[in-house]
Amino acid sequence: MNNVCEEQVFSSIFKANSKTVFNYIYYKFGNEEKAHDAVQEAFVKLWENCAKVMPEKAKSYLYTVANNLYLNVIKAEKVRLKYAKPTLDISNESPEFLLEEKEYQQKLDNALSSLPENQRTTFLLNRIDGKKYAEIAEMEGVSVKAIEKRMHLALKALREKIDGI
Amino acid sequence: MQENYLAKWLSGELSEQELAEFKKSAEYASYQKLREVSGNLKAPEFDVDQALTQLKEERIGNAPKVIALNPFKKFLRVAAVIAVLLAGSYFYVNTLDESVTTQFAERSEVVLPDNSEIVLNAGSRISYSEKNWNQERNVTLTGEAFFKVAKGKKFTVSTEQGTIAVLGTQFNVENREGFFEVTCFEGLVSVSFNGNETKLPAGTSFVAIDGKVMDSSPPNTTQPTWVNNESSFERIPLGYVLDELERQFNIEVNTENVDKNLLFTGTFSNTDLKMALKSISTPSRMNYKIEGDNVLFYAEKTP
Repeated sequence: MNNVCEEQVFSSIFKANSKTVFNYIYYKFGNEEKAHDAVQEAFVKLWENCAKVMPEKAKSYLYTVANNLYLNVIKAEKVRLKYAKPTLDISNESPEFLLEEKEYQQKLDNALSSLPENQRTTFLLNRIDGKKYAEIAEMEGVSVKAIEKRMHLALKALREKIDGI
Repeated sequence: MQENYLAKWLSGELSEQELAEFKKSAEYASYQKLREVSGNLKAPEFDVDQALTQLKEERIGNAPKVIALNPFKKFLRVAAVIAVLLAGSYFYVNTLDESVTTQFAERSEVVLPDNSEIVLNAGSRISYSEKNWNQERNVTLTGEAFFKVAKGKKFTVSTEQGTIAVLGTQFNVENREGFFEVTCFEGLVSVSFNGNETKLPAGTSFVAIDGKVMDSSPPNTTQPTWVNNESSFERIPLGYVLDELERQFNIEVNTENVDKNLLFTGTFSNTDLKMALKSISTPSRMNYKIEGDNVLFYAEKTP
């Protein structure tokens, strides 16, 4: 049961990783359609090479393939991120507060769009997907320290953008 | 404050002291707000099950067939190569001529597809095409052989020096370097030599030495003598007699002060070397010495 070619193993890898692969590509390029395609392409590649890829290596294989597939294609395209607006748990807030929140989110969206791709991906993988720095480092194929650096720079840049410094 | 402290703060890795220091800073509130709001961000909807179904139906649905076919394709490739090789070698082997070769001091009998018989003398080779035998009865000969040809279509013996064509008879062909002899024992043999055709009726021979046709006396046997383990010569230069001696006994013959053009008439045994040496040396007035596989003939001292 440790062969990626087995349909059950493949399906479980898909269920465990497809969402993150989708997000990963989406954070990088801000294109939902391309992110969907990336998931399909990456998993087709994995299936075609199922005999060569060990199950434990499947995850990093997927990220590498997904990244390679769309890195060159979308590099030049302008990034436009649109996140589903966070639904506020407390709805009995004052209109002023809600407006303020809305403005803040607008600023955050803009700030995120203007971040370098690798900082944005690191930041969002951590904030949205709750990935630890070590996990992101593995996905990106860099050291944990490099991820910490990206995170630090991302936080710094976002605050400066939002606070208008 | 340590390197990348913002990242460390977000992952809760700051020490208490560092955290307290960071909290006092002016930007802390902004970062706190950023952490709160970004924690509520969401990525676009992604339906895992739907994506998996789509993947299986649209993309992978066909893939297993391809994968399953691969080893078969490989097998087919190998099978095709083997089939081609087998067919090729079959045709090649079929077109190859059958051939029989005898070494020195060796004789061989060959029965052809039409029951014609060939007796090969020592140091000779024949080849013929078994496949085309019904269309063309043709044997290529180097050396000496006795033929008993079954009646039928034209039977030809090709040699470097001449071609012999017959219908059904018994004859002997000797085709050695510089020496060409055909003897007919039964029926009629047609010999073409240097473009001239000679008809040999039963009991006659045709001899050519160094391209010159020689007179020859008719054989007085019904088979060549070598078939009965004797080599007979009728006014043949001594050099060819000694060559035959070498072939029959697989020895090396050397001469000293001997005229090899001297004509020899006589017979020697193909089985008894001492008898054969005597048979040759006495009428030619020679002496001989045997050293292993070497025989030296030398002229008898004239008294």
